[in-house]
Amino acid sequence: MTEIGLPPINYGAITPMLILFGASCVGVFVEAFVPKAQRHLVQLVLSLGAITAALVTVVWQADTRTVTAGGAIAIDGPTLFLQGAILVLGVVSILLIGERSLERGGPFVAQAAIVVGSDADRNQTVRQPGATDIYPLSLFALTGMLLFVAANDLLTMFIGLEVLSLPLYLMCALARRRRLLSQEAALKYFMLGAYASAFFLFGLALVYGFTAGTPSGSGDNGGGVDFATIAAAVRNSEVSPALLYAGIALIAVGLLFKAAAAPFHVWTPDVYQGAPTPVTGFMAACTKVAAFGALLRVLHVAFGGASWAYTPVLGAVAALTMLVGAVLAVTQTDIKRLLAYSSVANAGYLLVGALAVNKQGLASTMFYLVAYGFTVLAGFAVVTLVRDADGEATHLSRWAGLGRRSPLFAGVFTFILLAFAGIPVTSGFTSKFAVFGAASGAGHTWLVVVGVLSSMILAFPYLRVVVMMWLSEPGESTPSVLVPGGLTAAALTIGVAATLVLGVAPESLLDLTNRAAEFVP
Amino acid sequence: MTTAQTVLAAGGAVSTGEAVTFWILAPLALLGAIGMVWARNAVHSALWLVLTMLCLGVFYVLQAGPFIGMVQIIVYTGAIMMLFLFVLMLVGRDSSDSLIETLRGQRVAAVALGLGFAALIGTGLFRALEGTSAVGLDAANANGNVQGIAKLLFTKYVFAFEVTSALLITAAVGAMVLAHVERRKGERLSQVEQMKARFAPGNYPGPKPGPGVFATSSSVATPGRLPDGTLTDGVHSQILPTRELTSSEAAPKGTEK
Repeated sequence: MTEIGLPPINYGAITPMLILFGASCVGVFVEAFVPKAQRHLVQLVLSLGAITAALVTVVWQADTRTVTAGGAIAIDGPTLFLQGAILVLGVVSILLIGERSLERGGPFVAQAAIVVGSDADRNQTVRQPGATDIYPLSLFALTGMLLFVAANDLLTMFIGLEVLSLPLYLMCALARRRRLLSQEAALKYFMLGAYASAFFLFGLALVYGFTAGTPSGSGDNGGGVDFATIAAAVRNSEVSPALLYAGIALIAVGLLFKAAAAPFHVWTPDVYQGAPTPVTGFMAACTKVAAFGALLRVLHVAFGGASWAYTPVLGAVAALTMLVGAVLAVTQTDIKRLLAYSSVANAGYLLVGALAVNKQGLASTMFYLVAYGFTVLAGFAVVTLVRDADGEATHLSRWAGLGRRSPLFAGVFTFILLAFAGIPVTSGFTSKFAVFGAASGAGHTWLVVVGVLSSMILAFPYLRVVVMMWLSEPGESTPSVLVPGGLTAAALTIGVAATLVLGVAPESLLDLTNRAAEFVP
Repeated sequence: MTTAQTVLAAGGAVSTGEAVTFWILAPLALLGAIGMVWARNAVHSALWLVLTMLCLGVFYVLQAGPFIGMVQIIVYTGAIMMLFLFVLMLVGRDSSDSLIETLRGQRVAAVALGLGFAALIGTGLFRALEGTSAVGLDAANANGNVQGIAKLLFTKYVFAFEVTSALLITAAVGAMVLAHVERRKGERLSQVEQMKARFAPGNYPGPKPGPGVFATSSSVATPGRLPDGTLTDGVHSQILPTRELTSSEAAPKGTEK
């Protein structure tokens, strides 16, 4: 019998994950031992500190290119760039999550277990400060996201997927207002997410079968689910390719579900609407980066050799996603659902970039992820500000005349909507230009055509909101726009500034993505 | 246990015993899966699932994975499913689902699509794997089955293995967040306090009089009477409004007539 030794682990390379994981465990202890009055501040400082520390370590090792922990973790350019993006967007999300001045006790319910509508529930809605468990949960989710984009084999990727999903399901259920909607959203997301995970696992098993007989990197009995082995098997496996195609299809279902691509998008509007708005922003920005990071790695590294096989199918999915998101966004009457369908359409544009399996496609998709993340966080930050006595006023008819009531925030929101629509001088234009350029460079002209068409459709609902805000008279029921507290103001400023800067002077970030856009083999 | 005993099915052709066991248990496993979806009672569903899982456990043992087979039976079927049954019993086994279809034709579409998907994957796999013989089992079990799994778990997949702890912590935190109601000091009354409150002035310590159902009318909304003849409410269900009785209803029924 042979001795089993721990494989060499480059602890420096996985420090960001370890920091976040440690901080989330400390956060759980804070919940148990720190008095209730101080918990919020302690958790907020702990979370922001941990994410910043992780970000510093990511920047610190910007030149690391290694595969470590027995081949399970790949730290390379895309990993570090996407980890950095997730962490920066994570800081902004935590700022939104930590806001407590807009509503007494913050946007989260104090005790989620109290029956909705009971006396105790009415009492806690107006009086009690929100639960601070949200901070360790978001740190756990961020840990999972960092692992998800760094995973170098399908099994580790699956664990990362679960680590990032489970806290998100919980966070969706914690809204202070409209709690039944929030709980329904969480349950829906949980059930469908579990279903998508099962698809991913099934695909993993089929791909494992496909690699039979291909010598694996670690040199035991052949076969394996690490990306190097899969890539070798794609090149010269003698097993029937039906296994490979079915495996790619099923794994793609699992990943596209998280990325909210049609026809796996049906959870998106309900969950985005039901979840507390800061959590919605977190999902729209960070989860999207993580999901596309993993998808890029799978498509480029593992299945890059079979790109001719999956490009037509995934191209059809991308086209469908863009059209479904754009057309259904036109019919929405709720601002959160409108942004949800816009997020579906944006998943389509991202997929267009991801399908260009070359360096330019990779770089432009990563650029798009960052640009979109900042804009969407700023968008949801404005949504948290428009309120009446019952909480956020999300129905579109209520937004009519908002320009007269608060020209500053209506102006900011107009700018954000123009960025979503892809008007020049905003990051929306540069990022769309980049992915469409990469796609036409890779020969997917038809996808570019569909993309431009759907952008034109999608501009309509955005402009309708703009017209409603500015050209209507405010009525009796027009809600007020609250003056944001320091945290929301910071998040909003960062988001809008990034949208503007990436629209006017995107060169430095484009350079960064170009330098980062190379996977380790 | 020697390697030869552990590895029931070495690579290569399927032995007769394995084939016979498979063809007996595979229909049972399918039956269990269908029964799980079909059963209307949650407890029956869980028991059907247990049947499927037991069959799968036997399959794993047959296919030279004794460790995973035993784990499936002991941990999954034995512990987790039984825990699940406990929870079902605690929550109340009568709480059956509402079977109203909110989306018309949803069930038919689901069955059709499910069967279509199964057929697609099934035929695809059958065509892909027809004539393929199992390879690598001997090598995987060369140092013993458990040792082989341990080697993978603590070398190649050690990071994934450790990260599952994050999942467990999240699950525990989640259970607390979603299910635990925190009572603050003073909300929970001790037995002594309850007794004091019961005999405090203003509270009536004895049992309340029953509703005046049979005394004056047959309505359950009829208020009861205290011994001094005054009406009292609070003796019938809160959701019923106290009914104002007409004089003819309130009059004695005159059974002596």
